[in-house]
Amino acid sequence: MTDTATNPIDAAKAQTPGRSLRFGTKAYLYTCLIIFAAVVVIPLVTTALGGFKTLGDLRGNAFGLPSTWMVSNYADILFSQRYWLQMGNSLLIAGLTVFLTLAFAAMAAFTFAHVKFFGSQFLLNYFLIGLMFPAATAILPLFIRIRDLGLLDTYWGVVLPQVAFGLGMSILLFRNYFRSLPTELFDAAFVDGAGYLRFFWHISLPLSRPIIATVGIISFVGSWNSYILPLIMLNSESKYPWPLGIMVYRGEFSTDWQLILAFITLTILPTVIVFFAAQKHIIAGLTAGAVK
Amino acid sequence: MTETVAAPGLSAGTALARPKVRRARIRGKWPVLVLFLPPALLLFTVFVILPMGEAAWYSFYNWNGYGLPTQWIGWKNYELIFRQGAFRNALVNNGLIILVSICIQVPLALWLATMVTKHIKGATFFRLIFFLPYVLADVAAGMIWRFVYDGEFGLVANIYHMMGLNAPFWLADKNAAFSAVLGVIVWKYFGFHMMLFIAGLQAIDKSVLEAADIDGATGWQKFRQVTLPLLGSTVRLSVFFAVIGSLQLFDMIMPLTGGGPSNSTQTLVTFLYSFGVMRMQVGFGSAVGVVLFVICVTLAFSYKRIFMKND
Amino acid sequence: MAGLELRNVAKNYGTVSVIEGINLSIEDGEFVALVGPSGCGKSTILRMIAGLEDISSGEVAIGNEVVNDLTPRERNIAMVFQSYALYPHMNVYRNMAFNLELAGKPKAEIDSRVRQAAQMLELEPLLDRKPSQLSGGQRQRVAMGRAVVRDPSVFLFDEPLSNLDAKLRVQMRSEIKALHKKVGVTSVYVTHDQVEAMTLADRVVVLNRGVIQQEGSPMELYRQPANLFVAGFIGSPAMNFFEATVTGNTARTAGGEVFTFEPGPKVADGQKVSVGIRPEHLQLGAYGIAGQVSFVEPTGGQTFVTVDVSGLPVVVTVNGEEVVTPGDSVNIMANPRQTYIFDGRTGERVSLN
Repeated sequence: MTDTATNPIDAAKAQTPGRSLRFGTKAYLYTCLIIFAAVVVIPLVTTALGGFKTLGDLRGNAFGLPSTWMVSNYADILFSQRYWLQMGNSLLIAGLTVFLTLAFAAMAAFTFAHVKFFGSQFLLNYFLIGLMFPAATAILPLFIRIRDLGLLDTYWGVVLPQVAFGLGMSILLFRNYFRSLPTELFDAAFVDGAGYLRFFWHISLPLSRPIIATVGIISFVGSWNSYILPLIMLNSESKYPWPLGIMVYRGEFSTDWQLILAFITLTILPTVIVFFAAQKHIIAGLTAGAVK
Repeated sequence: MTETVAAPGLSAGTALARPKVRRARIRGKWPVLVLFLPPALLLFTVFVILPMGEAAWYSFYNWNGYGLPTQWIGWKNYELIFRQGAFRNALVNNGLIILVSICIQVPLALWLATMVTKHIKGATFFRLIFFLPYVLADVAAGMIWRFVYDGEFGLVANIYHMMGLNAPFWLADKNAAFSAVLGVIVWKYFGFHMMLFIAGLQAIDKSVLEAADIDGATGWQKFRQVTLPLLGSTVRLSVFFAVIGSLQLFDMIMPLTGGGPSNSTQTLVTFLYSFGVMRMQVGFGSAVGVVLFVICVTLAFSYKRIFMKND
Repeated sequence: MAGLELRNVAKNYGTVSVIEGINLSIEDGEFVALVGPSGCGKSTILRMIAGLEDISSGEVAIGNEVVNDLTPRERNIAMVFQSYALYPHMNVYRNMAFNLELAGKPKAEIDSRVRQAAQMLELEPLLDRKPSQLSGGQRQRVAMGRAVVRDPSVFLFDEPLSNLDAKLRVQMRSEIKALHKKVGVTSVYVTHDQVEAMTLADRVVVLNRGVIQQEGSPMELYRQPANLFVAGFIGSPAMNFFEATVTGNTARTAGGEVFTFEPGPKVADGQKVSVGIRPEHLQLGAYGIAGQVSFVEPTGGQTFVTVDVSGLPVVVTVNGEEVVTPGDSVNIMANPRQTYIFDGRTGERVSLN
């Protein structure tokens, strides 16, 4: 913010961690951090463990290890069709959403970033209106539109509105990224005789992997976790993504908490695994939209 | 002879080549515009802009969604909204969420961010843990906390039982339910705000803080007089997201309470869902949507105007 | 004001040793420059003095007090950072006043001291500005102002001029020197630029790989480099070196060139050595070592001529008036009194000079 030190910096300076902390400070830090980590983790861990318990065990011993490990709670779900069907539905919807969002947003953003045309600023602002309000505000007219288009109870009925509402943010991110690429590239490509289309396909896109990842992650996570749109657009259980499925499951087994807990655990497991496997990208992706 | 004829022809050709080169610079402009812009434009117009406009239109009708809206009732839907106790609850609740976000969540996130940016072992691990709830779906988080709060099998119940007491059903108690919901909101979202602050803290030139050390600032003075002012834009951003997030809150409420008991945990969106969508009151629901839209746009605009004009 | 003493100060990150047992004593009011290439540990030493870095072993004393366990704010030092490290949200006045405010000085005193410092550094018209509204040179000045205003026992400079352009650097260099004359505070100045070190400091300490190579006045380092490293580091363009073998008071290279020198006590026949001669101590003449000019770099007053001697490039500084063209056959002459001989194994200087 003050200065950008571009000069060579002493190598030793770059790696200095500074003064190490006093023991008291460290103890204080770890105590606070562990307490808060526990508040975060305990509900998750007891949920996972609860899935292995009997209902009676849960009543008296929600925190401890199961007295008998009811592996069947999990096994029954894993061998049921509904779990896999829901996961598949979610994956399909999210996949379509990501693909369309990336394609449409990248193309539109490219024109905003590189092609000068009358009304370009106006059109960009038009898309940015989408950042101002949540899908919920127009959910009823949206429902009627989808119904009139004959898309009710189809995947497209969920995918298309999701893509549409994600466009504002995605176009903004793509455009800013395209604009940050050096303009010399653009000049060089045109001197070499490339047109816009070729420039887009051979230069902009290959250089855009980071932003593709960012936008892809944002729209995937958004779609994977989304609840209100499928809730309103889908009727048949065979098309439900998992957040709807979880609610149905709870409705069926209303007090059989051990089964519900097992079901929750299995549905969030993919998220948790992917999060820990690709934490860097996911955190960067999900905060990028906010910071940029 | 032929050569002399050809020569002017050639030179004319090269003279023409100039504007041609310039045209080559914009070659493919129209194909690009025609190919690249319409998909996004069409989708956005059909599924975002038009529905919003239609919401404004439908909001003046009493309509169940079938046939065409014919029964014009003027501002009646809006009057109805403001007469609903549940709507007032929703407004107050959204306000409370914003208040708790600003007074508890943001400071908590900032405090934790300052801790996990220190050079200690396991800092990255703690960051991951704190961010984890944010990645989970709202529905799953709501479900998990419904279990935590369950008065018979949940964690809270177990704690009460251990002390030999009868456990309360917080989520069924209209005086306690929303406080319980607020707890879940903080649990779910503080990690996101913490990440914003981590990014903000890392953007501060480390030598500025060292300069403060040398100038004789204690840890607190350093935070208060240097770090915090330099984080100003991050704080404003964080509050902005808390406000926007509160106005969208729906997914988590549904598994937790569904807006109950006796509408004590409604938010604007759950109100819209329970009173507009569930009852297929398209006119009424659209009116709620319009109110929500107006609130969103007003808050977003005025906040940006007032607080973020320099960011 | 106080002197400064480093006793056996070492720094290591785990098993990687960065500083190996430095001993250095700086007198009250002295201006000492720490100079060395990137990564030699000079900044680390400065940061240990400031208290920004832990001291792995050894002692740092300011005045007569060992300060190892004191925090930076208890050490009463002032530091000028490479990036200036001005507080971006405070104006120039508050940047300079911040330390005094924290120390709880009365308002009137703060005001008079800030204004006095501002006057000394010609910052008065800028007092209301934010750092972002200042040029590089002005920021540099504010960084110095912040240091002067507080009357510290020691001034620390961490490559303060490296973000400035060449012209400004020369100007600020003389201002720093003038400032030191005026306030006379013990100063430690870290730089990778030997010219800066030589022009500013009373005493220059040359560091390499966390070890002090030599310390002394600028001219001592130039005239009597203790070893190969210092010889190559000090002086510009850098000293020419030849691998050679000693016989009596001569050294003969593999290519057959013979250099005469004044042997010290540690020289023996058959010893493998490096012969070092500065470009400005070589002359083009009628006789001497034969070579061919490979290229010529005129700089105005002087011209640097690179001569190919048995495949080795040798730089010779000649008067700018002299006409030399690439391809010329020339002879190079060296003065035995300005011919340095370094032991081939230890790098230590073994010639008398």
